[in-house]
Amino acid sequence: MLPIFCDYGLYGGMKVAEAIVVQGLKKVYKGHLGDSVAAVDDLNFQVNQGEIFGFIGPNGAGKTTTIKMLLGLLFPSSGKLTVLGKPAGDIEAKKRISYLPESPYFYEHMTGVEVLDFYCKLFKLNAEARKRKIGELLEQVGLTKDGNRALRQYSKGMLQRIGIAQALINDPDLLIFDEPTSGLDPIAHKDIQDLIRSLKEQGKTVFVSSHQLSDIESVCNRVAIINRGKLVKLGTMEELLHIGRTVITISGSQDDLAEQVKPIAERVSVEGDLMRIYVDTEEKVHNVLDTVRGKSCLVSVVPQKQTLEDLFVEIVREGRK
Amino acid sequence: MIIWSIAKATVGDAMRKKVLQIFLVVAIGLIIISLSFSQTLSFSTREGASTDIMLIKSFGLGLMAMAGWLISLVMGVSLIPQEIERRTIYTILSKPVKRYEFIIGKFLGAMLTLALCVACMGIVFIGVVMAKAHGAAVSAASANTGISAAQAGVQKVQIFDINMLWGVVMIYLQFLVLSAVVILFSVFMTPTVNFFMGLGVYIIGVMASMTETMAKSDTMNPVLAGFYKIMHVIIPNFDKFNVTNTLLHPETHIANIAKYTGQVALYGIFYALLMVVLAVIIFEKKEV
Ligand SMILES: Nc1ncnc2c1ncn2[C@@H]1O[C@H](COP(=O)(O)OP(=O)(O)OP(=O)(O)O)[C@@H](O)[C@H]1O
Ligand SMILES: [Mg+2]
Repeated sequence: MLPIFCDYGLYGGMKVAEAIVVQGLKKVYKGHLGDSVAAVDDLNFQVNQGEIFGFIGPNGAGKTTTIKMLLGLLFPSSGKLTVLGKPAGDIEAKKRISYLPESPYFYEHMTGVEVLDFYCKLFKLNAEARKRKIGELLEQVGLTKDGNRALRQYSKGMLQRIGIAQALINDPDLLIFDEPTSGLDPIAHKDIQDLIRSLKEQGKTVFVSSHQLSDIESVCNRVAIINRGKLVKLGTMEELLHIGRTVITISGSQDDLAEQVKPIAERVSVEGDLMRIYVDTEEKVHNVLDTVRGKSCLVSVVPQKQTLEDLFVEIVREGRK
Repeated sequence: MIIWSIAKATVGDAMRKKVLQIFLVVAIGLIIISLSFSQTLSFSTREGASTDIMLIKSFGLGLMAMAGWLISLVMGVSLIPQEIERRTIYTILSKPVKRYEFIIGKFLGAMLTLALCVACMGIVFIGVVMAKAHGAAVSAASANTGISAAQAGVQKVQIFDINMLWGVVMIYLQFLVLSAVVILFSVFMTPTVNFFMGLGVYIIGVMASMTETMAKSDTMNPVLAGFYKIMHVIIPNFDKFNVTNTLLHPETHIANIAKYTGQVALYGIFYALLMVVLAVIIFEKKEV
């Protein structure tokens, strides 16, 4: 059967189909008292095949809600969802998808090996294939020697690793990770980053939500930032994070110097003897330098690349106003 | 394969529930203790022995019914809600598993768990009854010197009472139906509410003959009579499964117990299947 792709788009010069298409997605949770919360509100975005897509937002922004709708665990109040060309929750699509839930939890009476065996059976793998797969997966997530211990005795990070192992069983085309690095130690954390990079090399699509913005920044091609259920920013890292901000630090300035540079600068901060002047264009850098020349001691001029974290904080703060 | 895997995981999970283990251990313990129920009241060996056996039989059947009732309620109310609460369902339903496969697997797991529990109690119970009957046969033989113990056993007390096996099967069928009802409810009710609903359904179901009389009563307000009629029709008739008296006094009831068990089994299985179908339909639209 030919895969039915919903749409075609241009990405990286290649003609590829979208892995996920979200159109006008809305989810309203109804409370017992008749009150209702729009956890996700008119969300629109697409995830191209082969890209690593970051999905970020503050606590309660609606990330998990969106992800659960993508998997057919929750049903949208309105809007349309297409995953690998199929409606969300489609059984054929699920064969090629994997999901790592937020703080995953498993039948705790089982051992690591047993629980993976259980999940392998849900993919109808035969005994031989299961055995081989389980060995590989435990090795990959570093749990080989703990495989025969009951999950009851696993730490949070070990459960997270089992969660990752179960998400790799079917060699999926689309991986949906909800906070994959939460609760992991720095080594495991790095392993996840490496895993995502290697998945990218294999041409997989990864949809990842995380609060570790530096991770997202370093592994993702594109990010969507949502706040209170609404999409506030969407684009590639290059599009979102502009370079161009420069910090000029001076010391021993006279009293009114701050007042003089304020009209030029974006922001001025004074800390004891040090004054930091933030400007966003090169022209302004020269202006500031002209202004302060002779009236203070120049400490440094540092061009800064905005980090995803800066952008995130800025956006969320703005949203609060 | 998927349904079976889910069913097996369900049994493993359910059997590790502390409450369930406690019910089971206490019930089995009490059945064993019932061996010591003896001629404190009657000292005539022959009558005494058969009264004792009767006592053990009725005590054991009653106790198993009680334990089965608690086990099916406690297990049934939490089986599906717990999957959602502990989030184990996310990783299952995001695999190529159809929602109906999950529900059927859960039901099958519950039926197996219940079968395991009833079988454990039933084996101990039948063992206890046989031990007591054997003991009585031996003492009867020694009283009537000249006749061998075995002969006496055959003549006076039947060692293996097939009716007790039917009794155990009936208990299983009864709670199979109850747990099916509770599992259906659990798809849309919280465990606590469900526990009391299940309790209510069971009590009304046991009093099926009463609801039937009420429904037919001429003096009854027609609205109320209609209400009783509906209750009688939709709530499973648990009274049908209550055969303790017939089993204990087979001589006074001329029923063919095997045939009756078969009929009731059909009724029970049909009812349980109906619950499964309804649960599948409702779960299809359930958010987890
Ligand atoms: N089952 C529910 N019933 C009612 N409201 C809910 C439910 N689940 C989530 N919400 C609400 O929906 C909003 C979005 O929640 P969601 O879990 O999607 O956030 P999130 O972005 O994943 O947050 P976090 O970063 O903390 O994981 C929140 O306001 C939350 O209170
Ligand atoms: Mg979340």
